[in-house]
Amino acid sequence: MNNKQPKKSSPIPPQTNFVKILHGLIIISLFIMIGSGLQIYNATPVFGGKSGWSFPKWMTLGDWLAGGRNWHFATMWVFAFTLLIYGIYIFLTQRWKRKFVSGQDLKALKIGQNPKRRTYAWHRIIYTGIIPVLLMAIVSGLAMYKPAQFHWLSGLFINWQTLRTIHFLTVPISLLFVLVHIIMGIRAGGLRLTRSMFQP
Amino acid sequence: MNHLNRRQAIQLLGMSGIGYLLNSCSSELTTQVGDLSEPLNQSFGELLVKPQLLIPEFAKSAIDPKALLLNSYDGTPEIDRDKYRLTIDGEVKFPMELNLKALNQLPQTSIIMQHVCVEGWAAIVQWGGFRLRDLAKIVQPKDSARYVLFQSADKYTESWDLASALHPQTILADRMNGQPLPAENGAPLRLATPIKLGYKLSKWVTKVSFVSQIPKGGKGYWEEQGYEWFGGI
Repeated sequence: MNNKQPKKSSPIPPQTNFVKILHGLIIISLFIMIGSGLQIYNATPVFGGKSGWSFPKWMTLGDWLAGGRNWHFATMWVFAFTLLIYGIYIFLTQRWKRKFVSGQDLKALKIGQNPKRRTYAWHRIIYTGIIPVLLMAIVSGLAMYKPAQFHWLSGLFINWQTLRTIHFLTVPISLLFVLVHIIMGIRAGGLRLTRSMFQP
Repeated sequence: MNHLNRRQAIQLLGMSGIGYLLNSCSSELTTQVGDLSEPLNQSFGELLVKPQLLIPEFAKSAIDPKALLLNSYDGTPEIDRDKYRLTIDGEVKFPMELNLKALNQLPQTSIIMQHVCVEGWAAIVQWGGFRLRDLAKIVQPKDSARYVLFQSADKYTESWDLASALHPQTILADRMNGQPLPAENGAPLRLATPIKLGYKLSKWVTKVSFVSQIPKGGKGYWEEQGYEWFGGI
């Protein structure tokens, strides 16, 4: 018996190069949005106002407020349109039916005995869960970018402080999701799965 | 051991070199990123400004006087109300200088709006005064007028697109939260509108010029240092 054989042939879900590019763009633009966002945060910290704690300079992008805004309001287009294109893509290719968390995964967690299947279910829950967090970052960001013209949108967030808080919270939440996503990806499919998302 | 140390040293040197390169390039790159995206962001902002679309006002109970922070680049200028004149000139049929008594004759209005600062804070304020468009009706801008320049007693400058300046909710205010406008908030006259960021809302306005082109270096005090010109919200 050659026990190396089944390991080698364990299925890695094939990803198209198109998805790999979108995935890469989301990573790059997310980190530019966070770095420039923290620069903007520091101009008036969300917690504690002018005398509140601010982020160290090495975590910020753009040298000063205007520079941070340059990066933030340029990259927002890349970030938002990458997600939009991805949304259209998974809708047109019907991927939303198969590639995301489903009742099957929940069933596997509830009554399933196969630990590998359970890990895979958690993996799918995590990477599906990132999407609404990223969408919330865009929606709350848009409400803050044009609070007067999109008053119907910013009105949903109660007041300015709540709006800023929600927009800011998408940073630690998305970073936490990214971290768990990396760990779950490795646990579900090893570095081979991780590599399959980046290699052409 | 020695060999490893040397390798590490070289690696570190390389890394710090990249860091130095990134740092020295970054401000240049930041400016380029801004220049690249600004036309798109400006078109997006301009697209949203519609003269017939009014921004809903806030409730009187939402006014929060403490939230309005004081920003000024050079303190509060001394202005003699008796000697004060508002100059309106440029591409207008009837350039004029008006004193406060004459300006008081203009139809009065007020608005409870959210004042949003580029620094990230916001405050709900009630401003009272006259509409800039009512002043424009008197001086009658020519068809060539496309921008409006504002000069202030403290030498602060601003420049606006004509559509935003003539928006029905853009006012020159002499009252704040139902009281006469305090000197540090821009008395005798300051700009107020719900559709622009705070740095566009000049205090201590002394001159309004309708122009066909923004002169070189005249985008505005902060805009010349890197803030976006349109500043629409």
